[in-house]
Amino acid sequence: MATVATCGGDAVGVGSAVATASKSNVTSFQRRGPRVSGTNDSGPRLVSITGTRPSVRNGQLLVSTGLPALDQLLGGGLAVGTVLLIEEDKYNIYSSLLFKYFLAEGIVNGHTLLVASANEDPANILQQIRPVSSSRFGHYYDASKRIPQELIEASKWHGFFLPEKISPTLKVEPCSLTHGYIKLLQFIQNIIYEEGFDGSNPQKKQKNILRIGIQNLGSPLWGDDICCTENGDSGHNLTKFLYVLRGLLRTSLSACIITMPTHLIQNKAFIAHVTNLSDTVVGLESFIGSERETNPLYKDYHGLIHIRQIPRLNNLVCDESDVKDLGFKLKRKLFTIEWVQDNYLRQERNIYPPGFSYLLKQKDSAWGEGSLQHSTFLMSFLAKGMGFPFFQLKLLLKDGFVLIKKGMLRDDSLRCSHSAI
Amino acid sequence: MLDSLLALGGLVLLRDSVEWEGRSLLKALVKKSALCGEQVHILGCEVSEEEFREGFDSDINNRLVYHDFFRDPLNWSKTGEALPGGPLGALRAMCKRTDLGPVTIALDSLSWLLLHLPCATLCQTLHAVSYQDSCPPGDGSPVGKVHVLGLLHEELHGPGPMGALSSLAQTEVTLGGTMGQASARILCRRPQQHPTDQTQWFSILPDFSLHLQEGPSKEFQPQSDPHIPLVDPMAHLTFNLHLSKKEREARDSLTLPFQFSSEKQEALLRPRPSQATSHIFYEPDAYDDLDQEDPDDDLDI
Repeated sequence: MATVATCGGDAVGVGSAVATASKSNVTSFQRRGPRVSGTNDSGPRLVSITGTRPSVRNGQLLVSTGLPALDQLLGGGLAVGTVLLIEEDKYNIYSSLLFKYFLAEGIVNGHTLLVASANEDPANILQQIRPVSSSRFGHYYDASKRIPQELIEASKWHGFFLPEKISPTLKVEPCSLTHGYIKLLQFIQNIIYEEGFDGSNPQKKQKNILRIGIQNLGSPLWGDDICCTENGDSGHNLTKFLYVLRGLLRTSLSACIITMPTHLIQNKAFIAHVTNLSDTVVGLESFIGSERETNPLYKDYHGLIHIRQIPRLNNLVCDESDVKDLGFKLKRKLFTIEWVQDNYLRQERNIYPPGFSYLLKQKDSAWGEGSLQHSTFLMSFLAKGMGFPFFQLKLLLKDGFVLIKKGMLRDDSLRCSHSAI
Repeated sequence: MLDSLLALGGLVLLRDSVEWEGRSLLKALVKKSALCGEQVHILGCEVSEEEFREGFDSDINNRLVYHDFFRDPLNWSKTGEALPGGPLGALRAMCKRTDLGPVTIALDSLSWLLLHLPCATLCQTLHAVSYQDSCPPGDGSPVGKVHVLGLLHEELHGPGPMGALSSLAQTEVTLGGTMGQASARILCRRPQQHPTDQTQWFSILPDFSLHLQEGPSKEFQPQSDPHIPLVDPMAHLTFNLHLSKKEREARDSLTLPFQFSSEKQEALLRPRPSQATSHIFYEPDAYDDLDQEDPDDDLDI
């Protein structure tokens, strides 16, 4: 405080007091290293990689998955150095779409791509990617147009097509299950090393992200038996592969998307192993051919999306949203994910005008923690543009309904709760 | 739809069962493609060659290229005519040879192959054979479509191999039927598109030609189509969302507090009795529960 007095200012606020304190070096905290000015090379480089941004929560470097709705669900995006595992839907329509969105995002941002597949030539996969209309992080893809050829040719990509890399042997033996996986791991390791994604060439021009996409991992076309048998012996190849892959990813600037046909895997405990070995796991369940198609709740949706796991990277807790029933629908330009009950309640929206907050209070019950466990139904009536409708609703009714006084919610614990009449 | 099965190419699975056998449908499709002028290869593993060729005309029999693995599957007799590598080798050899035109390969049966070969190897080989038509040839020679027809007895296999083969197949035909009439449920998976599901009633004539039919008479259909109750999403909630008629009327006649209606406008425009002091008259209703912990209470109104 003495320093403040010597400055001679009147009405000195707290901010300027701190500033004067640091100027006169009262504090012992010194800034170490050069300032981040962005012009010289010695500053931190990570923020200058295109297509990435630091997470608002813990500064982790994130890349977009190609789908802004999915990014929001995963807490901002996919962390660099992690694996996104997508459990395929039954006919592999939507999972291959997510796969292509991931790659398209890489093309647009100028990332290097590595596409591995056992059933389709990677060049064909890239031909099917749709172009983009941009947004700030993550883009929207127009499902009707094709990506211009020059954009694909300008981008750098490496393909791994299993039938080309492995010559089929004529002997009828159980084909060596690890052969395809070992080849793929060696291929990935070579690319990472040669192109300097693991920091092995420090004098390289510009750091870039390697986006790896592996399609249909675990299917019989990779030579893996896990989908065909019921015993647990054959699963070790895939788990070893995932373990080694994660090690490769953690030491390089890369992000990986894997689609796996888990609906074919008979050993359910194995799926838990695979989930533990991956970082982010998203499951897709499409309604085609299932009895859920007749459910009026799922009328406008094409399927459900389940967020099975979100990683805890350098954290004690993970940012998992509470909403369990997420549905997706694919319109021509947009793949949207929303809470399923949202649609059902839309018909009620005309009664409660948007832009206000409404609360429903149950008669004769007190506010408090009890209301959190009380109900499972979220009513979202408010303005569009909010991803997840955690709103408190306040409603004044009369004549047979509960009259609630206008009051303010006291704390955030009630933010996610509601009860109905 | 059944007659255009072969137009799509790729792997076609014919799933039959004990009640509804599929070999006659396989032979009908083989006859059809032979009549179209395609090259037809048969991998016979389950029945003898004489039995398979029975019922075909001589010109069709002349077009069929039959690989016999029934008589000597493990090649014990060591004669020169047996193909090396067994059925798998034969399939792989066919991969390399398809540069002359459309080819149909009939596997009789895929179940036999699945029981004698590892599933992953079989899937890889089938994929290699049926993938030929979608990759463009480098030298410009026209590569014909490859149709692989596989007869699969679905009761012999567990869900694992069946699921693996189904995901590999472009078309899946499941045989069934009612009242003596056979039907085929055709599930067609096109890449990047929704799968189509159709049911076609048919019968096979003695000369193995396919005869498409209408479904059975109408009186059977209500039995086969049970009433599916409509799922009510409001059924298992812990609170009550249904309104009685009186409640619904009351709700409809409600004016919302933030809506600017004409009464409100008049109330605001009405000249106030006194401007100096402002009084708030508050009459608690019968339903109003005075919350003890209401923070509004400490506002000095």
